[in-house]
Amino acid sequence: MMIHSQATQSDRLLLRIDRINKAYGGVQALQDVSFDVGRGEVHALCGENGAGKSTLIKLLTGVTRPDSGSLVMNQRALPVGNVRGCEAAGIAVLHQESTAFPDLNAIDNIFVGRELRVAGGLLLARDAMRREAAELLEQLGESIDLTVPLGQLPLAQRQMVSMARAMSCQCQLFIMDEPTASLSAQESQKMLALVKQLKEQGISILYVSHRLEEIFQIADSVTVLRDGQYVATHAVEDLHDRKLIQLMVGRELDELTVRQTVSQSKSDETQKPSTLKVDQLSRQGIFQDVSFSIAPGEIVGMAGLVGAGRSEIARAIFGIDPYDEGTVEVNGQMLPGGSVARAKHVGMAMVPEDRQHEGLVLPMSVQNNLTLANLRDLQDFGWLSQTRERGQAKRLIADLDIRVTDPQLPVETLSGGNQQKVVIGKWLASMPNLLILDEPTRGVDVAAKAQVHRLIRELADEGMATLIISSELSEILTLSDRILVIHQGRIAAEFEGATATQEQLLHAALVGSAS
Amino acid sequence: MTPNSKTETPAFARITTRREFGLAVLIALITIFVSFFDPRFLDAINLRDIIVRCAPTAIVACGMMLVIVTAEIDISVGSLMALTAAAMGIMLSENEWNLSLWIGLPATLMLGTAVGLLTGLLVTVGKVPSIIVTLGLLTALRGFTTLIMGGKNIDGLPPSLQHAAKQGFWGIPLSVWVAACVLVMTLVIIAWTPLGRRIFAFGSSRYAATMCGLSEKPLKLFVFAYTGFLTALATIVDVPRLPTIESGIGLEFELLVVTCVVVGGVSINGGRGTLLGVLLAVVLMTMIRPVLTYLEIGEEAEKWTKAIQGTLIAIAVIGDSLFRRRGRGESRS
Amino acid sequence: MNQPRAVARFNYWHELVLFGLLIGLLALAEYLSPGFLSLRGQLYLSRHLWVFAIMALSMTLIIIAGGIDLSVGSAMGLCAVAFGVTFEMTGQLHVAIIACLLTGVLGGLFNGALIARFNLHPLIVTLATYAAFRGMAEGISQGESYSQFGDRFSELSRATLLGIPLPGYLFFVLAVLVGLFLWRTPTGRSIYAIGHSAEAARFSGISVNRIRIRLYTFSGFLAGLATVIYVSRFDTAKADAGRGFELDVITAVVVGGTSIFGGRGTIVGTVLGLLLIHETRQFVGRYWQVDELKSIVVGVLLIVSVLIYQLLVTQRETRSH
Repeated sequence: MMIHSQATQSDRLLLRIDRINKAYGGVQALQDVSFDVGRGEVHALCGENGAGKSTLIKLLTGVTRPDSGSLVMNQRALPVGNVRGCEAAGIAVLHQESTAFPDLNAIDNIFVGRELRVAGGLLLARDAMRREAAELLEQLGESIDLTVPLGQLPLAQRQMVSMARAMSCQCQLFIMDEPTASLSAQESQKMLALVKQLKEQGISILYVSHRLEEIFQIADSVTVLRDGQYVATHAVEDLHDRKLIQLMVGRELDELTVRQTVSQSKSDETQKPSTLKVDQLSRQGIFQDVSFSIAPGEIVGMAGLVGAGRSEIARAIFGIDPYDEGTVEVNGQMLPGGSVARAKHVGMAMVPEDRQHEGLVLPMSVQNNLTLANLRDLQDFGWLSQTRERGQAKRLIADLDIRVTDPQLPVETLSGGNQQKVVIGKWLASMPNLLILDEPTRGVDVAAKAQVHRLIRELADEGMATLIISSELSEILTLSDRILVIHQGRIAAEFEGATATQEQLLHAALVGSAS
Repeated sequence: MTPNSKTETPAFARITTRREFGLAVLIALITIFVSFFDPRFLDAINLRDIIVRCAPTAIVACGMMLVIVTAEIDISVGSLMALTAAAMGIMLSENEWNLSLWIGLPATLMLGTAVGLLTGLLVTVGKVPSIIVTLGLLTALRGFTTLIMGGKNIDGLPPSLQHAAKQGFWGIPLSVWVAACVLVMTLVIIAWTPLGRRIFAFGSSRYAATMCGLSEKPLKLFVFAYTGFLTALATIVDVPRLPTIESGIGLEFELLVVTCVVVGGVSINGGRGTLLGVLLAVVLMTMIRPVLTYLEIGEEAEKWTKAIQGTLIAIAVIGDSLFRRRGRGESRS
Repeated sequence: MNQPRAVARFNYWHELVLFGLLIGLLALAEYLSPGFLSLRGQLYLSRHLWVFAIMALSMTLIIIAGGIDLSVGSAMGLCAVAFGVTFEMTGQLHVAIIACLLTGVLGGLFNGALIARFNLHPLIVTLATYAAFRGMAEGISQGESYSQFGDRFSELSRATLLGIPLPGYLFFVLAVLVGLFLWRTPTGRSIYAIGHSAEAARFSGISVNRIRIRLYTFSGFLAGLATVIYVSRFDTAKADAGRGFELDVITAVVVGGTSIFGGRGTIVGTVLGLLLIHETRQFVGRYWQVDELKSIVVGVLLIVSVLIYQLLVTQRETRSH
C-alpha cells in the first residue's frame, strides 16, 4: 500500500523545490523556500514585490544559481545556473518584461539560442525553422508576418511570439511571469484561454500575477511568498480575495478601497473654472478630436485598451510629444505644444508610465531625484542651496512615508512602491494643480498601492485636478469621479465614477460606444 | 488604425524606403552625372581603380559591421593596419629578416587576430567600454609601430607579393579576390550560422539574450578577433601595392570604415544592418575622390573630399532619423 | 543595506586615486630624473598643456551629459583657417579673433542642433563634422598656411605673469567657473540627470535639447578659443591645426574619471587627468628620450585606468549583490 501510494504521489509530482536559499549581498532574497508543483496543474505564485518571486523564477530557469537547497524535476536534479540545461529538462518561461529581440523577425526570435541546424551543426536549417515557426503561431491562433522585425509588430503579437518561443521546446513546466501585465482586457482573456489549453495538454503552469481576479479564474492552487519566505500553499477553493491579500501582506488591510463618497458633493464644484481644458486635440494617426476638462479637485479616469492612445494623449498634453491640432489650456492659459518646461511652469505634473526610465534617474540619489523637477526653486543667486535641497527631500520623505534609510542612497535600491512615491513626490514639491498619472500602480505591491490611492484622494481633496490612466478597471472605478473611455484614439464614452460598472467600461473600450 | 492595414506596407514602399535603395540610386546618379561630364569615368581602367580602392575598406568593414551590430565599436583598425604592415614588412623584406611568405603571412594574420582578441578580452572580461579600449589602442599601437620601424620606411617586399597585390590573377588584384571571399564568408556567417544570428540577437536586446542563455563573451571575442584578422588580411593584400611601408599607413582608416558601416545603415545602437548596405556605402565613399578628379572643378578639388564625406554621413543619418520618426509614428497607432 | 550606502557616500574616491597617482608619478620622476620637478621647467613645459586643457572642460560636460564630441580637433582646423582668411582680408587682429571664435560657435551650434533636433547619436554626428570641418578647412585654404600675425599677438601665448603663461590663467579661471557651474547650479545638476537618463530628465521638465545644444556650442566656442592660443603660439594658421587633438582631450577626460556612458565625472577629475597625462608624457619624453613611447604610455594609461576602475566596481558589485 505504502509503496503504491508513494508511486502515485511521485507520478503526480513534477517539481519539488526543497529548502532553497539565495542571498544577494546581505539581503536574503529567498530563505528556506520549499513547495511542490504537481503535474498538469496551474499553480499560482503570489507575493508582494520583493517577496522573492522573480528570484525563484531566475533559479528555476537557470539564470542564477541557489546558495543552497535543491530543485528536483521529474525526480532528477535540475542543472542549476544553466539556462539551456533547464530548458532541456522541460522548463520554459514567459518573462515579465518583453524578452523579444526587436530587430529580429519572428522566426529568429523563436529559435535564437536553440537553432535547428544542418551540415553537422554548422549551418542553420532555415526552411525547417520557418515551417515550424508558422506551425507554432498557427496553433496559437495568430497570423504574423514572419519576415518583419518584431519591433514593428503590435505588443500583443510580440507576446504571442514569446509564447511560441516558450512552447517550441516541448516543456512540462511553463513559468509565466505576469503575462498579462501589459495586455488589454481582451488580450488577457485570450492569454488565459491559452493557459487553460496548455493545462489540458498536461503541462504544468507556474503562474505569477498581481491580478487577483486572474488567479481565481484559472489557478488550481496558490503558493504565497512573503519577504523571501514561504508562507503557505492552498487550493484555490479555500481562498478568497481578502484572505489571499492577508497572506501576502501578513496582516489584515484596514482599507483596500479608499473611495469616499465625496464625489457627490463635487458636482457644485465643477461650476468653477476648470483647471485643464483640452479642446479638439489631434495627432495624425494616433488620436483625434479629444476634448475634455478637469475641474479643481476632480479625478478623471481614462480607461481603454492598451494602444488605444491614452498614454499618447497624456504625453501630448504634458508636452513630451507634439500634437497637430487643438489646444491645451491650464488655468485659462494656453499652452504651446511640445514644451514640458512650459507645462511645468503653469502647474502641470506627470507621473509617467515607465517609472524606471521616464520617472526616475535610477543611479541618482533619492534626494536628487526628489528635487530634480524644481531645481530652479532651490537656488540662491543661481547656486543650488544644499540646506534647502536637503530640507525639501526630508519633508517629502516624511510626508509620503517613503521607506529609505538615507536620502543619499541611489533610488534604484528602493522597492517599486517606494520608487513610485519618489516619482509623485518630486512633483509635489513644485505645488502643481494638475497631476497626470499614467499607470500609477503598475508593479507596485498591494500595500503600497493602497497608500498611493489614498494619497491621490487626499491631493484631490486639497484641490488638485487629476487625470489618471490605468489598465486596471477596478483602480479607475475606485478613484475616479468621472471616467473617459478611449477607443482607437477617440473618447468613446463618458461615465460618472459613482455609477459606472466594470462591464460598462469594458464594453465601451472594446466596442467604442456606451452600451 | 487597425493593426493589419499598417503592418502590411506595400512591397514597393518597403524597398524604396530602405537604405540600400537610396545608396544604389545615389551611386547610379553620380556615375551618370560624371560620365556625362567625362565619359572616361566609365573606362575599365578607372572602374578597376575604384574597385581596387574599395577592397581593403570592404574587407575591414565586414568585421566592423559585426562589431557595431553588437553595439560595440573598434576605432583601432587604422593603427592596427599600420602595426601589421610594419610587422609584415620587417618579417618579409629582403633588407630585414627576409622570412618565407609561408611564415610571414600567417604570423601577420595571427598578430592581427591576437590584437583583436586582446581588445575582445578587455571588453568582455575587463568590462572596459570598447570605445575606450580601442581609443587607447589607436594611440598605443601607432606609437608601437613608429617604435619598431625606428624612423625608417621599409621596402623590399617579396616581388611575388607585390605582383599579386598590383596585377593579381586574371588582371584583377588579389585584394579584390580576397574582398569577394570575405564578403561571401561574412554573408554566410550572418545569414546561415547560429553564431551570426546570435550576434544580431545580442545587439538587438542584451537583456533578452541573457534570458535566452546566450553568453556574451564568445560572441564579442569573435567579432573583435574577426575584425583584427580582417585588418591584417587587408594589410597583406593592399599594402604591398605601395612603394614603401611607412608608419603613417592607415591614418584615419578607422574613421573611413566606421563611416561606411554607419552610412550603410548599421545602427550604432546595435542589432540592425545589412551587408549589402555596407558594401554600397564603401563604394560610395570610395568613389568621391575619383569623381572630384574627373569633374575637374579645380586643381585641388580633392581637398574637398573630406567635406563631402562628412556631408554624406550627415545626410545619411538625418534621412534615417526622419524616416525612423515617421516609422515610429506609424507603429504607434 | 550598508554597502550601497558606503558607495553613495564615497563620491570622490576616483579623484583621490588620481591625486595619489599624480604624486607618485612626480616623486618617481624626480627620483629617476632629478630636476624634473623644478618650477621653472614645469612652467616652461606647461605650454604644451593649455590648448588641450581648455577643450577638456567642455568635453567633460558633454561626456557627463552622455554625449561625445569628436569634432573639436577638426573645428580647430576650421577656426584656424577662418582666422587666417579674415586676417588676410582685413589685416585686423581682433576681427580675425572674432571670426575664429564665431566659427567655433557656429560649428558647435551645428553639432548641437543636429544632435538635439534630429535626435541623432552624437558619435555619428561629430564623426560627420569631424570629416566635414577638416574637409572645409582644407578646401577653403587649399593647403595654404597663414602667418605673420605680428609680435603683439604672439605675446598673448608667450607672455607670463608671475612665471605662469597667460593661457594658464585663462584655463584656471575657466576651470573654476565650469567646475562651480557643474557642481552647484540647476543646469549642472540637470547635465548629470541627462547623462544618466535623458528621458527621465525630459519628464522632469528639464529642457534637454536646449542644454545639449548649448553644451556643443560651448564646446565649439572653446575650440575657437584654443585655436587663438594655438595660432598665437606657432604664429601660423593652417588647416591641419588640432589634428588628433580630440583623442587627447577625450583621453584626459576619461582618465579623469568621467564615465563614457554619462552621468558621472567632475572638473577636478578632469584637471587631475590632464595633469597626469601631461606629466607622464613629459617624464617619458625626458627620461627615455623616445617620443614614440609617449603615445604608447598614454594609450596604456587610458585603458588601465578604466580597467582598474571597472575591476573595483565589479568586485564591489559582486560583494554587495
